[in-house]
Amino acid sequence: MTVARQVLQAVARAAAGARRVRASQPGGALAPPAARATGLAGVAAVLVAFGFLLGASSLLTLEEAVGLALFAVATNLLVGYAGLVSFGQAAFYGLGAYTVALSWQHYNWPFWLTFTLAPVLGGAAAFLVGLVALRARFLYFALLTLAFSQLFYEIAENQYHFTSGANGVFGPMVPSALAQPRAGYFFVLAVVAACLAILWKVTASSFGLTLRAIRENRARAEALGINVFRQELIAFVISGVFCSLAGTLFVVYSQSAYPELLDWQQSGYAVFMVVIGGMFTFLGPALGAVIYTVGQQFLISRTADWQLILGAVLLLIVLFRPDGLAGLADSAARWLAQRVPAVMRRGAPGSKAPPRVAPVASASEGEPQHAARVPGDERE
Amino acid sequence: MMPTAIIDTVGVLSTAGALFIVSAGLTLVFGAMRLINIAHGSFYMYGAFLLTTIAGAGTGLRFWLAVVAATIVVALIGAAVELVIMRRVYDSEHLTQLIATFGLFLIFADLALHFWGDNSRTANPPAAFAGQVAIGGAVFPAYDLVVIAAAVAVGLGLWVLLQRSGLGWRIRAAVEDPETLQAGGTNLPLLRTGMFTMGALLAGLSGAIVAPQVAVAPGMDSSIVVAAFIVAIIGGLGSVPGAALGALIIGAAETIGTIVAPTWASSFIYLAMIAVLVARPSGLLGIPERRQ
Repeated sequence: MTVARQVLQAVARAAAGARRVRASQPGGALAPPAARATGLAGVAAVLVAFGFLLGASSLLTLEEAVGLALFAVATNLLVGYAGLVSFGQAAFYGLGAYTVALSWQHYNWPFWLTFTLAPVLGGAAAFLVGLVALRARFLYFALLTLAFSQLFYEIAENQYHFTSGANGVFGPMVPSALAQPRAGYFFVLAVVAACLAILWKVTASSFGLTLRAIRENRARAEALGINVFRQELIAFVISGVFCSLAGTLFVVYSQSAYPELLDWQQSGYAVFMVVIGGMFTFLGPALGAVIYTVGQQFLISRTADWQLILGAVLLLIVLFRPDGLAGLADSAARWLAQRVPAVMRRGAPGSKAPPRVAPVASASEGEPQHAARVPGDERE
Repeated sequence: MMPTAIIDTVGVLSTAGALFIVSAGLTLVFGAMRLINIAHGSFYMYGAFLLTTIAGAGTGLRFWLAVVAATIVVALIGAAVELVIMRRVYDSEHLTQLIATFGLFLIFADLALHFWGDNSRTANPPAAFAGQVAIGGAVFPAYDLVVIAAAVAVGLGLWVLLQRSGLGWRIRAAVEDPETLQAGGTNLPLLRTGMFTMGALLAGLSGAIVAPQVAVAPGMDSSIVVAAFIVAIIGGLGSVPGAALGALIIGAAETIGTIVAPTWASSFIYLAMIAVLVARPSGLLGIPERRQ
């Protein structure tokens, strides 16, 4: 096990199990709940203010970013929390978009009906895909999910008479009220906020802890009597539900659905957002989605090379910051929090702040959780 | 009836041959490093683009030299990628490796647009194989035979290399137990660089060989890498004979599917892969991954 991985795990514990870390490290670096609530409220206020201040085109970009944030966070329920690297979440994202678009095109169903139908279909599809894909592990799982999403893609591309093929479906499929940029933005913002609140509850529940236990040590989780397959299937279905819902939001701001939504590269971009934002924090992927969308808009208007920059960013993160930008911000905050009290208490004997990241000499593959306990824990 | 059967068979073998060469590279790299290389498709595309550039309108010796040159250039690119980036992520998690190769894939796709633009290009087949061949009333493109011959040569070469040479013994040992091998005096980093380079070489060769048969254009990296994954997975990741078997199955499924139900042909391929993985999670000829 490499140092990078130890650091990663330590950060994971700090970020994901904030409550436990706070309990074991009084005066820890993580922001107290009150500060975090203030921060969240601030972000929400800024996002609402943008809704009134920004022009139509910037608003659409932000709307897309907010919608993709849900896609990224839902993907991260698998990638970050459950340790299931899916390269096929675009299947459910595209399914949500196509549910709205095709129901409108063929049956003229109202948006509100299909908007509620899409997550149900997404969950059902995820259940079926998960039944098969979760039999495989690691790379085989990634490739099986990729294959399923390509299957959806080929169907959308080739069943021309029903899906309109590569052209996709375009048209006024969203209620005219939502088609206004401002109303549409607030609608997307409200839906995403509600969904993120639900997903936060899910990750903070005992189910979320179980997922993390499975990720950390599958064998031990099994030995404890956890039905690993069942828990992973539940996570897969939940992710499918919310990815599908994110797909319906795509229709709200684009009034269209086309096969590229189902392509494996779309899944890759979701993983990109997760990685760039930080997979070991709840909102990291949302940050990644905003950076991705705004960055793409910014770059596309200035250079044709946004893919080059995207790829370079991925490489840099992988090589130097595997915990993403949220991890970077986290260590910066931790560094500050460690410096400030140290400076203030300078001179007092034995007041040296304990190391925040476990300096573990060696941790066996078998028990990363306990072997990597912070020695400072006992001292405090 | 008979002539159609021959034409179809040659078509299947030709499609399968090209798929086999590119998938063999993917599966070798996976076998040796447990690495899924998404940028493998980029190497294939670069092989094809480089061939169109180097060969130009040449159909004689220049074409064959262009195949060799394109293959070597792609292999060198592969070696550089391994030395600069990939060797830093071998010990990382699967996700990190996937993301690194996905990043490379995006970079290569962008650079290809710079070098070759977004128009589709074509290459002329070599003059000696430009026409049609007739066997028992069946007429098919002579160049199909070149692709088939190349696939057979690659298959035999790999078999000799892996099963009959000391280097092959080391490569197989590197899969089983890299640490012991290294302790025994083998230069493991060099071996891995060599394997990655060989994977790139095979992808480049495949791209260069098929260039006269297809429209060489951006996006072929994305479609081939998915196809190569499927072939390698059906056969069993890490198994070269498996890649040959998988390529034949996919080549046949594609050809038959196109005749029977054209709009469902491409879906059949994914269904075939899913069916194989459900029945045999490690692929047809793959060895189940041991618990680490």
